[in-house]
Amino acid sequence: MRESRLIFDRVWKKFHRGEIHDSLRDLIPAMARKLTGRAPSKAELQSGDFWAVRDLSFEVGPGQTLGIIGPNGSGKSTTLKLLTRIYEPSRGHCSITGRVGALIEVSAGFHGDLTGRENVFLQGAIMGMRSKDITRKFDEIVEFSGISDFIDTQVKRYSSGMNARLGFSIAAHLEPDVLIIDEVLAVGDMSFQERAFGRIRELAQSGIPVVMVSHQLDRIAELCTDVIVLNRGEVMARGTPSDAISAYVQQHDAGRAAIVSDLISFDPVEIVSDMPVRSGETFDVRISGRVMEPMGETIEPLAIRVRSLRTGGIVYSSGSRRLSLDLGQPGPFDVHVTLQANLPAGSYMVEVGAQDMLKRKDFATAPSVMVRVSEGIGFKGSVQLNADMKVLSRSGASAH
Amino acid sequence: MGVNAGDVDEEQRTDGRVPGAYVRQHSDTPAAVRHTILGDLREVIAEMKQSRDLVQQLALRDIRIRYKQAALGFIWALVIPAAVVLAGMAVRVAVAYASGRHIDMAQLGGMAIKAVPWAFFVGCLSSGTASLVSNMSLVTKIYFPREVLPLSAVLAQSFDSLIGGLFVAILLPFLGVTASLQLVWLPVLLLLLWCFALGTALFLSRANLFFRDVKYLVQVFLTFGIFVTPVILDAPMFGPVGSRIMMLNPVAPILEGLRLSVVLHHNLLQPLNAPAGFLFWRPWYLAYVTTWALGGLLLSVVLFHRAERRFAEVA
Repeated sequence: MRESRLIFDRVWKKFHRGEIHDSLRDLIPAMARKLTGRAPSKAELQSGDFWAVRDLSFEVGPGQTLGIIGPNGSGKSTTLKLLTRIYEPSRGHCSITGRVGALIEVSAGFHGDLTGRENVFLQGAIMGMRSKDITRKFDEIVEFSGISDFIDTQVKRYSSGMNARLGFSIAAHLEPDVLIIDEVLAVGDMSFQERAFGRIRELAQSGIPVVMVSHQLDRIAELCTDVIVLNRGEVMARGTPSDAISAYVQQHDAGRAAIVSDLISFDPVEIVSDMPVRSGETFDVRISGRVMEPMGETIEPLAIRVRSLRTGGIVYSSGSRRLSLDLGQPGPFDVHVTLQANLPAGSYMVEVGAQDMLKRKDFATAPSVMVRVSEGIGFKGSVQLNADMKVLSRSGASAH
Repeated sequence: MGVNAGDVDEEQRTDGRVPGAYVRQHSDTPAAVRHTILGDLREVIAEMKQSRDLVQQLALRDIRIRYKQAALGFIWALVIPAAVVLAGMAVRVAVAYASGRHIDMAQLGGMAIKAVPWAFFVGCLSSGTASLVSNMSLVTKIYFPREVLPLSAVLAQSFDSLIGGLFVAILLPFLGVTASLQLVWLPVLLLLLWCFALGTALFLSRANLFFRDVKYLVQVFLTFGIFVTPVILDAPMFGPVGSRIMMLNPVAPILEGLRLSVVLHHNLLQPLNAPAGFLFWRPWYLAYVTTWALGGLLLSVVLFHRAERRFAEVA
């Protein structure tokens, strides 16, 4: 058997803006053009057409996990549909060697009038499983979904969460040679999401080639070996997860990278410590730049924020003024910041900028950097509270 | 290595499309290079073999949905054929009264044997035509060989018609129809009808996806088709010229063949005169129908397979 591999070779995909007329009335002129040899080539743009994917190439082999990120409409899902053969490339070539498991639209084949049990067999078959394999894994699938009490209930009576859980459980038992994942991590409640992500990690770490699309950047950072950032169908950045995610967050986060000012300029922020940082330990950040004009009381010349890629929210925010550092006078500066990562494991962006405190808005920003925090001293939750436990007295213990 | 501009080696690029649903390769190579009719057929057959569980599950879905929450259950499978026979009887009585002749039981048997295949064909046409459009959410989201959709629609319809057929088989002896050697024509004709129905379903489902007009066209045929197909009336009742024209409809020779062989014990390889005296059954009708059924199926499969990749975009 050939080794499983996904190849995308200079793929272009054209779509049409506006309505495609599909009635017989339009067929006759089109056929006449075809007969006279004036039919437009499918690889060229006609009026109203646009490229949903332009000249995209990648190759994913065993042990590699490729993440594709980008804003809505950037061509991520189109890329996956090209990979899974739902769409045909307008130009270029793509191929998959091996049995494909796609964690996409995991309950698309469900029929409301059928019971959960009947739908497991139906959806499994649609995803390419053999009936005998489904029979063999049926109990496992139901067990994983956690809805065994309702397996003989019609699916139309299910909640949307139950629907998604059952769908994911089927897809998670595919045993593929190649895995394609599209934004299915947000399935069900918290505990099921953890279980689902655990299953995906298990599959990804089994060494099969994986391509995944997600907006949960910390998941991408955790699982992927390579990341491509798409924007309007084109590759905006590609490389290691931290480089690509940094590039994406800067470009994406309300055009942060674009903010330059006459008052202050920043050099790219540097992480001085080794990555990843263990939870609870410190890491150092170096920020340099130049202040051009003296700045007033209402301006924070050096605001620093840490953003969680899991939630997208700010977990920490401070600044030079709050830390009693005077940077308001013109001239170059070179600042060293030591931060303690009292954070759960995950990926974080360090964002630096100059802020107008009245408008609560950055008027200048530095390109952000990503910090990976790895599992440290045992704690779960969102903040490290450095619990200190002491035993004062204990009853029932045998005394010597 | 990782994500660099893929330099695909030439061997992988030229080995073409590998048959089967899971090992796949697709590109924009010009159609003329890649497709031969035989190659397409082999591909379709290989895909169908791999997808047989899927076909079975989809057909099962269609059957289950039809009878779930229906109080009468499988009895509904008999309703359309029974309605055809009843309507036929009404028409026959009117014709008999106008011409001053009696109706006999054999006529009723001839009608009963034609009613179920007709109901089958009509059912395949309507569910087959809709099969792609009504499963659009699947077609645009998940890859599987699209041929399974019309195929499973025809299979689900076959199941219905099997129930109707069994019922007719029990009924026929009571209508005075006896068994004969000519019953061998029954499976032959039914197989031809099945192939023709599948070919039509494939053709129409694809056409309906690209041009939604097709659905209306099919509705017109479903309403008026019974008047241009010898179901209620027998073809010879339309006279020498009328019957010849009517027999051009590929379903007509199949239905008339069923009536002649099963009810009248006629060997279809022999010509037969109508009661009115003119030559009615011509043995070459068999070749005519076979050409339609098998040629149509072949053509539809190839056309369907070649258009398949654009389905998700048109939908």
